[in-house]
Amino acid sequence: MKHPEGISPLDQGMAKGERRRFQGLLHWQKISGQSIVVNDFTLTPQSWALIVRFPRGAFVWHRPSAVLVERNGQMQHLPIVDLTRAIQLGLLGLGGIIITIVAFVRFARRKERVL
Amino acid sequence: MIDTTNNMLTLAQKREEQISRVMEKLYSAAQPGAVYSEPVTAGNYTIISACEISAGGGFGSGLGLTSPKPQDEASQPQTQSVNSSGGGFGGGGGSNGRPVAVIVIGPDGVTVRPVVDVTKIALAGVTVWGSMLMLLGRMRRANKR
Repeated sequence: MKHPEGISPLDQGMAKGERRRFQGLLHWQKISGQSIVVNDFTLTPQSWALIVRFPRGAFVWHRPSAVLVERNGQMQHLPIVDLTRAIQLGLLGLGGIIITIVAFVRFARRKERVL
Repeated sequence: MIDTTNNMLTLAQKREEQISRVMEKLYSAAQPGAVYSEPVTAGNYTIISACEISAGGGFGSGLGLTSPKPQDEASQPQTQSVNSSGGGFGGGGGSNGRPVAVIVIGPDGVTVRPVVDVTKIALAGVTVWGSMLMLLGRMRRANKR
């Protein structure tokens, strides 16, 4: 395994987004890490970070978004999907839809009875 | 009085330094190294894990100094002009991380394999279905009335 910069890129910290890190109260930024070379592949990890700054505190939410893979000059974008969260949100959405449909049907029946 | 004030100010400065150090550590959660692990090689395969992390923290501090009250010389004795001071510092924080996917680099190429947390999904399912049943029950009861 080779690292183009000599040091492990994942140890080098933030690359492009660092300068903007302390600006503003709410900050949402895309971060690109240093590239890693594994076999013939050059991988560039990308992530999204939400930084909320308070006067005496902070909150950081950081999630991986994609990996850029380069091989023989060809670039490939591999998105990282959070399947657990997608299923959780899907279940929540499904529950909401079912409740809405049932409520609508009951409301319609009630209206029919009144008429 | 001057010594006490100086001591308090020194303590306050130390606290500020500590806060900024802790805040720097908190902000380090926004570095790519926090989300992507070091590559691990086993045979022909190299694996990098990708995790979602969240971290938060807050601090508070305060200090108080009492200044000598203007004395009513006739009624108050000299001994009551003792100065007192006090300060306090508190903070709290937490962090959470969970794996989202694994990047596998093998002879066939690079693949991203999602990591599914079955427990979280099951808990979400139970919560949604429980809430739905409760709401449907309430709606049924309301219709009967």
